Amino acid sequence: MPLLKKMLSQFGIEQERVRLDWVSASEGDRFAKLVAEMTEQVRKLGPFSSNGGGKNG
Amino acid sequence: MAKLKLALYWAASCGGCEIAQLQIGEKILKLVEAADIVFWPVAIDAKYKDVEAMPAKSIDVCLFNGAIRNSEQEHIAKMLREKANVMIAYGACAYGGGIPGLGNLFNRKSIFDRVYGETPSTDNGGKVVPETKYQAPEGELTVPEFYDTVRTLRQTVDVDYIIPGCPPEEKTTWLALEALISGKLPPRGAVISHSIKAVCDECVRKRNVKKVKEFHRTFEVVPETETCLLEQGLLCAGLATRGGCGALCPQANMPCTGCYGPVEGVVDQGAHFLSAVSSVVDSNNPQEINAIIDNIRDPAGTFYRYSLPDSLLRRARTK
Repeated sequence: MPLLKKMLSQFGIEQERVRLDWVSASEGDRFAKLVAEMTEQVRKLGPFSSNGGGKNG
Repeated sequence: MAKLKLALYWAASCGGCEIAQLQIGEKILKLVEAADIVFWPVAIDAKYKDVEAMPAKSIDVCLFNGAIRNSEQEHIAKMLREKANVMIAYGACAYGGGIPGLGNLFNRKSIFDRVYGETPSTDNGGKVVPETKYQAPEGELTVPEFYDTVRTLRQTVDVDYIIPGCPPEEKTTWLALEALISGKLPPRGAVISHSIKAVCDECVRKRNVKKVKEFHRTFEVVPETETCLLEQGLLCAGLATRGGCGALCPQANMPCTGCYGPVEGVVDQGAHFLSAVSSVVDSNNPQEINAIIDNIRDPAGTFYRYSLPDSLLRRARTK
C-alpha cells in the first residue's frame, strides 16, 4: 500500500481515494462504519476525472 | 507468388526500431526477395503524397513504430491503416507508448514550459513556443499539433499484430517477417514473440527466497552475477515482462526494464510489476517499510517505463 500510494501521488490521485483495511466476518458494525467513512471521504473529493490535459487529454 | 508490398513508418520514437529492422543482417536479402518496400522514410524517398495516391488495401503489411503524440503521426497512422491489409505495431512505443509515453505524467503546457523555457541551456526571453500556424511573407506555414496525451497505435487505429521490444530483438523481428513471408500468421491480435511467459523464465540466474530490505538504483551497486537481480535489491521487471528476448539484460548484469510489455493475459504491466515488488519487501514495520520504499525514487517511471499510455490510468492528472 505505501508503494501504491506513493505511485498514485505521481499520477495526481488523492491518497484519500485508496484505502486498505481488514474486517473480520464477525465485525458487521465495523464493516458498515468503514464503508460509510470511505463513501463520505470520496464524496467530499468529488467525481474522479482522469482528464489531465485540454481537448486532447 | 507476387511480391509482398511492405510499408514502414516511424512516429514518436527514437530511430532504434529502424536499426533493429536492419539488424536482421543478410536476411534482409530474403526480405527483399519476397517483398517490395513501398514506403520507408528512413531509407527510401517516397513521399506522403505517394502513399496517399495508393488505392485502399494496396499495401500488404505496414510495420509501424512509435507512439502517437502529434497530429501528423495520427494522420499517417490512419492513412496507412486504410492502405494496408495488415497493420503491425512494431516496438514498445507503438505497443505501449514506450519512453515517449512517459510524457503522460505531464501535459503539453508543462512539457513546453520545460523544454522551451526552463531548461538551463535555453535562452528564450520571449517564451516562444511552437504554434501550429505561422504567417510568413511567403505564405502560411504549419506544424503538427502537439497533443497533451500520448497514445498507443492500438488506441488510434485497428492493429492486427504486435512485435514487442525496445527495440525488438532481431530474432523477434525475423519471427514475424518469416510468418508474413510464408503466410503462416498467428491468430489476429497476437503479440509475436518466442515466449508467452515472463523474462524470468529465460533467465539463468538463481532464484532463492525473494526478501528485500533495501532497493538500489543500478549505478549504486555492482550486482553479483549468479543470483536473481530482484533478490539483490534491483528493480528488475523480468517477472512482469514477456520473454522472447532471451533475458539479455540480466545476462549483462542489468535489470530488465520491461520493454517486451506485459506477460500474456496481464492488462496492466506496471500494476503487475508494482505488486511483485511490494511482495518482496521484507518487513512488517510500517516505518521500516516506508524507509525501504523511499529508495524507489520514481515508481511510475519505473513500473510503467514502456506502458504508461497503455495502462488502466493512461495518464496522470495534471493541472
